[in-house]
Amino acid sequence: MGEVELSCLAYVKMYLHACLFPRCSVNGLLLSSSPAGGAVCVTDCVPLLHTHLPLAPITQLALTQVDVWCAQTQQRIVGYYQANACVSDSSPTPCALKIADKIAEQCNNAVLLMIDGGKMSPDYRVPPIVMYERKDTRWTLKDKHTIMLRQWEETRDIASQLLDSGDHSLLVDFDSHLDDITRDWTNQKLNAKIAELASPANDNLGVCQLGNPVLR
Amino acid sequence: GFDNWNVLIIVFTEMRDKLRKWREDNHRNSEQIVDVGEELINEHASKLGDDIWIIYEQVMIAALDCSRDDLAWTCLQELKRQFPGSQRVKRLAGMRLEALEKYEDASKQYDSILQDDPTNTAARKRKISILKAQGKSAEAIRELNEYLEQFVGDQEAWHELSELYINEHDYGKAAFCLEELMMTNPHNHLYCEQYAEVKYTQGGLENLELSRKYFAQALKLNNRNMRALFGLYMSASHIAACPKVNATVKKANVRYAAWATNQINRAYQVSHAMCCVLLKQ
Repeated sequence: MGEVELSCLAYVKMYLHACLFPRCSVNGLLLSSSPAGGAVCVTDCVPLLHTHLPLAPITQLALTQVDVWCAQTQQRIVGYYQANACVSDSSPTPCALKIADKIAEQCNNAVLLMIDGGKMSPDYRVPPIVMYERKDTRWTLKDKHTIMLRQWEETRDIASQLLDSGDHSLLVDFDSHLDDITRDWTNQKLNAKIAELASPANDNLGVCQLGNPVLR
Repeated sequence: GFDNWNVLIIVFTEMRDKLRKWREDNHRNSEQIVDVGEELINEHASKLGDDIWIIYEQVMIAALDCSRDDLAWTCLQELKRQFPGSQRVKRLAGMRLEALEKYEDASKQYDSILQDDPTNTAARKRKISILKAQGKSAEAIRELNEYLEQFVGDQEAWHELSELYINEHDYGKAAFCLEELMMTNPHNHLYCEQYAEVKYTQGGLENLELSRKYFAQALKLNNRNMRALFGLYMSASHIAACPKVNATVKKANVRYAAWATNQINRAYQVSHAMCCVLLKQ
């Protein structure tokens, strides 16, 4: 079955990461602050790279750093996301599969998420994402009905607002951190901005609560 | 009154100078260029003199980047009117077709430029960009290799080729391109560091040692290159941990890794960076 819920916080940052570097492939890690077992709740994400995704050193470095941070903050790495530069092809690249495999070694029901660049415009009413899960040794497409995004309309609106206001430039990925180490790749500032925009009813942005499936 | 007039002149010259700097640095900050450029064109065209034509070109390209076809079209019309039959303007028209994803039409446009001028490198590179945009990496690589046989000194092309090879996981060929770049640009720390990353990715003891050397070289050229610093730490650590190495090599690499750890921790402390690296020895 393998239900997966994607929080507003995780979705917005992933989406903004893709928007911030429209000409590059970007990737990042999906995190969960929920305990293992049962549904996978993606409560946050860490944007990683926008250059040289297939090269090893910085990816290895980032994985180690995020691992350490997760241990300190009671989170786990539960997945990987990527948005390809070429919008006509949103299938996982070899490097995406490699990194996702590595994550799956530590996390049973890890997910691989591809952002479909061709469906990111405001005309699309559903989240522009495609999810894969590991069945035997292959990554297979997940049944849409097992993927949940609580309060999708509000999430989508928050992402649009941040894009319009130019606040998406607040987002720091690991690559940007290496260019200027004073920049915070855990994105506390942006998290606060996202929390500001969310309604009081949705103040548990990073918390999962299985609701009605939105993806059809 | 007089004060307002002064302020306007200052604002205008600032805007024009900004655009010039971005042109000279080949900055692709398209949203800013559109912001500043559109206002300059709409409000201050008369003051720009002959600069206006190069500004139309700059703003047009930026407009294409931002999906502002209305603005791109306006700029293109002005340029067509002023420079009828110009190859340079023809290329801009081709770029607009690319932005509209009319790749066949764009390609025909560039072919017509090449018919009149077979050495027009801009048109050839645009054709390769079309292949890239269509996801035809193998073809793009083939065309770019052919191009480089003729124009062997084109740095931008060598770098583009290295990027294409990296995306195809053809690290050996990517390394070759970077070697060309390092030869002609021995003081460029970025090429050294990218070469080191490719070598590290290829793996194996020999490549790891090469990667360590080139991370070190990148640091010599720019001691603030954090990727090179981390790369040095990681490559040296891996070599030291390799069962195949003798005691001397192991000792040396342990020393390199320790030095790198020190430098990294200092860099983070000095910059009061929030995210501290936990590098233990």
